[in-house]
Amino acid sequence: MDGPGHFDEFLTAVDRDGAIAETRARVETVSRRRLLGMTLAGAGTIALARATRAGAAGLSASDVDILNYALVLEYLQASFYTEAERSGALSGKTAQAARVVGATERAHVQAFLDLLKSQAVKRPTFDFQGTTEQQQPFLKTAVALEDLAVAAYKGQAPRLKSNAVLAAAVGIHSVEARHAAWMRALFGVTPAVNAFDKPASRSSINRVVVSTHFIVSKPHMKARKKPSFTG
Amino acid sequence: MRPAVPEIEHCVQESSDGSLSRRALIGAGALGALTSVPLVGRMFRLGDALGSPSKAQDAKILQLVLQLEYMQVAFYSQALAQGGLKGDLREFARAALVHERQHLAAIRKALGAKAGPKPTFEFGGQTKTAAAFTRAAIDLEDIAVGGYNGQAANLTKGTLASAAEIVSVEARHAAWVRSIAGEVAAPDAVDRPMTARQVAAGLRALGMRT
Repeated sequence: MDGPGHFDEFLTAVDRDGAIAETRARVETVSRRRLLGMTLAGAGTIALARATRAGAAGLSASDVDILNYALVLEYLQASFYTEAERSGALSGKTAQAARVVGATERAHVQAFLDLLKSQAVKRPTFDFQGTTEQQQPFLKTAVALEDLAVAAYKGQAPRLKSNAVLAAAVGIHSVEARHAAWMRALFGVTPAVNAFDKPASRSSINRVVVSTHFIVSKPHMKARKKPSFTG
Repeated sequence: MRPAVPEIEHCVQESSDGSLSRRALIGAGALGALTSVPLVGRMFRLGDALGSPSKAQDAKILQLVLQLEYMQVAFYSQALAQGGLKGDLREFARAALVHERQHLAAIRKALGAKAGPKPTFEFGGQTKTAAAFTRAAIDLEDIAVGGYNGQAANLTKGTLASAAEIVSVEARHAAWVRSIAGEVAAPDAVDRPMTARQVAAGLRALGMRT
């Protein structure tokens, strides 16, 4: 269990006021009933913003940066499932899974928007290159996107400064892993290949995303372009 | 699912919205609050009020997840031997067992001589039939996910990174067995963290005996 040694700066700013349990309790899990309702309604939010005392204003610049990175990945996933659902190309168990997972990804997007407020990047424009229009290409792409999300969250979790944001991120990370396994099962490949899931760096995630040509316009930063410090 | 009973409220700390997770309910409901509270102290020497991350605290948390991994290895071994598992379910159990053995080995290695002994287990009928196995496997994997997630902020960065490599595999197992059962494989938008106490109660309910 020797962890990678490149996260040296992490957890230097740990809350020391006993807020861990308190903040954990604030990370509201969407109940099954609520999620079902959300699925049916096609929209929903998680009150994740409550995970921090003051929303984006209380976040470190590096956390804002990581959250925006996660937001882009959530935009990508949410748009992908929404488009696939609307295309009418999915059927049976795959259609049901896409509805549930799509609702969850949209909830993740909304949660990050609530958290980041005016510092959130805008949704890029996507072109899924036809993968949302047929069931097998959809499933293959879903597997890739979910595995990518798992690796991305895993790579960033130890870098987060805020325990509240960390609690939310790990709770989303494991849900992405459930999605990955679900889509793999539907695609007919092993849902859990290895005993250990490896993290991926931002640069390697970015390379993969760029290679898909799914993002056709850059996400736009509404607030300042660069964090004033990298704390 | 068992109904919530009032006496479990005080051993479940994360019920801010009034709805207890199914995992917490099965655990605490079957066990009862009176036995669960001293149990966690005895089993894990890990209270809910933890300090800042440190190597010493990592070791306490690793003792908790060690119990989880011991239990998963024992559970899948027994189910494969006695459960009459076939087809997809058997394939799942075999893969999960391989993974859990590797998790167990990694955690034992990290703890070295401090690693706690293997508990005893009484799985009863849960490893005897495919249906009972499926139910228990879902619960056990969900407890693993909640247990690892619940400790994320309490771990040092290096150990958190290592734990993160395990927790997503537990989550994949949970979704895998749910999908075999024809259930919604990812029912929540965010996985709820569990305290050590909730994990202990859940493991006891599923058959851990010390």
